[in-house]
Amino acid sequence: MSQRGGAQRPNGAAQGKICQFKLVLLGESAVGKSSLVLRFVKGQFHEYQESTIGAAFLTQTVCLDDTTVKFEIWDTAGQERYHSLAPMYYRGAQAAIVVYDITNQDTFGRAKTWVKELQRQASPNIVIALAGNKADLSNKRMVEYEEAQGYAEENSLLFMETSAKTAMNVNDIFLAIAKKLPKSDSGGQSGQRPQPGVRLNEQNQASEGGCCK
Amino acid sequence: MSSGLVQNDVDGYGFQRPSNFNHGEYDAFMAEYLPVMTRRALRWEKVIGNASRINKSRTVKRFCRKGIPASLRPMVWMSITGADVRMESNPHLYQQMLSANHDRELTETIEMDIHRTFPDNAYFSNPNDNKCLRKPLYNILISIGHRNKTIAYCQGMNFIAGLMLLIMKDEDKYEEKVFWLMDTLINNILPDYYHPDMHAIQVDQELLGELVKWKYPAIHTHLDHLGLQWCLIGMKWFICIFADVLPIDTVLRVWDCLFSEGPKILLRVALAIVCRNQEKILKCKNFSEVTDLFQEAVVGSDSLHCHSFLKCMFEELGSLPMARVNRVREEVKTRV
Ligand SMILES: Nc1nc2c(ncn2[C@@H]2O[C@H](COP(=O)(O)OP(=O)(O)OP(=O)(O)O)[C@@H](O)[C@H]2O)c(=O)[nH]1
Ligand SMILES: [Mg+2]
Repeated sequence: MSQRGGAQRPNGAAQGKICQFKLVLLGESAVGKSSLVLRFVKGQFHEYQESTIGAAFLTQTVCLDDTTVKFEIWDTAGQERYHSLAPMYYRGAQAAIVVYDITNQDTFGRAKTWVKELQRQASPNIVIALAGNKADLSNKRMVEYEEAQGYAEENSLLFMETSAKTAMNVNDIFLAIAKKLPKSDSGGQSGQRPQPGVRLNEQNQASEGGCCK
Repeated sequence: MSSGLVQNDVDGYGFQRPSNFNHGEYDAFMAEYLPVMTRRALRWEKVIGNASRINKSRTVKRFCRKGIPASLRPMVWMSITGADVRMESNPHLYQQMLSANHDRELTETIEMDIHRTFPDNAYFSNPNDNKCLRKPLYNILISIGHRNKTIAYCQGMNFIAGLMLLIMKDEDKYEEKVFWLMDTLINNILPDYYHPDMHAIQVDQELLGELVKWKYPAIHTHLDHLGLQWCLIGMKWFICIFADVLPIDTVLRVWDCLFSEGPKILLRVALAIVCRNQEKILKCKNFSEVTDLFQEAVVGSDSLHCHSFLKCMFEELGSLPMARVNRVREEVKTRV
């Protein structure tokens, strides 16, 4: 569907729907949560990414057909002792990406525990995606693709192997989530419409693929 | 220090400046700050002479609030925290902790964070450089974790020890000194922030909320309306005691006061950030605007001008009676 008038400004009726979703990233320390977000939001990758303390908040906007989807992203700290703070970040979230590192079996186990916790305690309609990150390191692979995929199917999760380093499937996993989220105006989402003129498009659009085709 | 003519990409502490670093603004700040610090250094020298330690006193407290000169900072920090006395009375302890058999999980967790500590800093980025501080950082964290079994290692401690190393690195026995400074900080100065249950840190976030409500009721109402809880903003502030949060010169000034006066300083810092941004906060229309604002506020020019920032902390904020702080802390404990 075409967006009229360049559609860069959320200008009342000329613009399609604008939806805002809260998304949280969970998973053990050093699996690459911050790296995935950095890739998605800024198109960058740092070989040495600082450890996250508490959590970091970022936003990114993607366009799907006539809908602008604005993600409000909580990138949480992975160390076990920060676990008790996690509900604060996933409370009210419409989507979650649970991340593990394909080169480390323990992180996959930890991811499953996160999924269980979300299923029990997060919003009942939360869209959960499982990301097997560091897919570029397939020579060190410890978690088989089929194993994770089987688990994801059983639990109705979106699943992709990703690489924040090469950008593989990074925009795609966020887009897949955007597609799966209900976007009706009254869909029970917290998506208060941002007021006209409020930033939305100042955020750079997702750098590759994905946006406003 | 950069001369103002040469635009240095690395600051005096080895930190890589961001590509959008505002050299003009920084040079203007330094032009104002350096003479101030030079005057302070002269006054400190009068007080200290060439003593190798100082005792806490009202004068010293007042002096710490105005900033410890860089050349004296290592000695003064060791002295006012009492870390030097503890080090002297336990001359073998650091070596014992370091050479002990360390828990494997502890080792692994710390190892994972060593290259993720100040990766943009010249002293941490290149492991092949013989001045590289990664190994000392590892040694300190593992020894702290081994000695303080309950705390072990909490992410965030890496940034604190890392910054201490940057300040102490030219001292004799600097590694051992930072170990003692860290040990004193977590056991004698700060509340139990690094306990695995994270209780104390959450209590202090709530406490901050209550103090904002007391000092700046309109701000509190507005933030509450936007759905902002302090722990979403302030967790890293307190865990890292503002290291990797505020501009470096400001962090050091904050630490000067923290080491001399104790953790109430952290509340003053947080309140000063609120105080200096009141109008901007009230203009925020939604949650992400307000989080963006705080992210900018802590690195922005208001925070860079550490002299006026510290002034705000102590003068504009007015009194923050310990009795009240403690009473409110007890009240919020039941909520967390
Ligand atoms: N090869 C490879 N390395 C990656 C990838 N993603 C992240 N890394 C590296 O893994 C390390 C940890 O990444 P982070 O993004 O900091 O991990 P995190 O999950 O945010 O960790 P915490 O903040 O401690 O919870 C960094 O050194 C990254 O450079 C990837 O896709 N491939
Ligand atoms: Mg992270």
